[in-house]
Amino acid sequence: LPAGGAPLRRCSTRAAPEGVNKAVIDRIIRVDHAGEYGANRIYAGQMAVLGRSSAGPVIQQMWNQEKDHLKKFNELMVAYRVRPTVLLPFWNVAGFVLGAGSALLGKKGAMACTVAVEESISDHYNSQIRTLMEEDPEKYKELLQIIKQFRDDEREHHDIGLEHDAEAAPAYTVLKTAIQIGCKAAIFLSERI
Amino acid sequence: VRCQLSPPQRPLQASAVLRRVSDEQKKEPLASSSQQHFNSHPTDHQPEQEPQGPRPSYTGQGGQESEDYESEEQLQHRILTAALEFVPEHGWTAEAIAEGAKTLGLSVAAAGMFHSDGSELILHFVSQCNTKLSELLEQEQKLVQLGKAEKKPTEQFLRDAVEARLRMLIPYIEKWPQALSILLLPHNIPSSLNLLTSMIDDIWHYAGDQSTDFNWYTRRAVLTGVYNTTELVMIQDSSPDFEDTWRFLENRVADAMNMGNTAHQVQSTGEAVVQGLMGAAVTVSNAETVRAVR
Repeated sequence: LPAGGAPLRRCSTRAAPEGVNKAVIDRIIRVDHAGEYGANRIYAGQMAVLGRSSAGPVIQQMWNQEKDHLKKFNELMVAYRVRPTVLLPFWNVAGFVLGAGSALLGKKGAMACTVAVEESISDHYNSQIRTLMEEDPEKYKELLQIIKQFRDDEREHHDIGLEHDAEAAPAYTVLKTAIQIGCKAAIFLSERI
Repeated sequence: VRCQLSPPQRPLQASAVLRRVSDEQKKEPLASSSQQHFNSHPTDHQPEQEPQGPRPSYTGQGGQESEDYESEEQLQHRILTAALEFVPEHGWTAEAIAEGAKTLGLSVAAAGMFHSDGSELILHFVSQCNTKLSELLEQEQKLVQLGKAEKKPTEQFLRDAVEARLRMLIPYIEKWPQALSILLLPHNIPSSLNLLTSMIDDIWHYAGDQSTDFNWYTRRAVLTGVYNTTELVMIQDSSPDFEDTWRFLENRVADAMNMGNTAHQVQSTGEAVVQGLMGAAVTVSNAETVRAVR
């Protein structure tokens, strides 16, 4: 290090919109976008297997809501100039495989997967809401509203999954734990890379 | 230097020394580049206010210092901006920084605030150029929004943006190879990479890129490649007004656009082939069924 030099802060060329905490917002939007993208692919996988069964319409409806969520995060991503996670192609495949794989265990397996994933996602949204509330509820009002709405939607999916006998799925506890560990890992990675 | 300071000199002490020297020398006409910062450095006739303690605080602690004070950072920026004038002669070195400090009425010891290899000077220059580019692109965007200008097609936009940014190197082009090699030193790579990526991201943002998938990365990677190769061509280009460079740039950007189209075509072909195979499989399976039934 130079004899007297404090590191010189470079002027950033990217001005944050209205002085938001760029680092925090960056992570939040990136991981949420990845999450909704993954959820989309999971439902796509489930539909590929169970599309023509009795569970088809229920899964399709939940999938449609996830599509809306993804669309919203696409818009937020452009508005806040956030970069998407590099792992998107990986979540593309992994999500589909998870959805199709759980659906091959039958309708209850698919519902168990839905319950596990949606529970992870609602917990994750809850902690984001807490973070934003701690930062500045007024500044992040719009984002908070969106995340709260989505959290409620995911909770609803979770409840629908339970209603459709998710707990009767083969090896329910093992399946649920494994999927939730995977979700935690996915969240950790997507926030950072 | 008429101050008693105990070694080792710390950054704040060094700046304090320089400030006092400059105040004592009174103001000779300052270099034009520092005029814009003159507001932060008004009448030195008034004695410096000592907020509390023996030394004035330069960083914003407690908000005690008056508006007259510029932070150490602002001072460093001023020195580096003034030093740019001397780069064509002295290169990206401590000498240029020292000369720059002299024009601001500071002691040549000011160069001691910075790394001896001129890293900060180069990074400061790159950061300044990037800011200028952003402002330029922002203005262009405003004109388009107000309907006073036509929206350029992407290919032309990228070409013009890269050309505008590279033209900022022209006054320093002789010494630019030296700067590039310094920017590649391991301890500079995080900063220089950061500056490069944010510049490329800016260009794509103003070009209207709204991708939210892996395209985000491929587009930026491709444009970075175009920018870097064109920069290298430029530093050894001797044609009038660098026309060879701009022609090279045009070709590379055209290649980049073609890449996008080709990728698209490959995908469509792939999908068509899959559909064809599925159709063939269904036909064969039907034929087998008919045969089995008969």
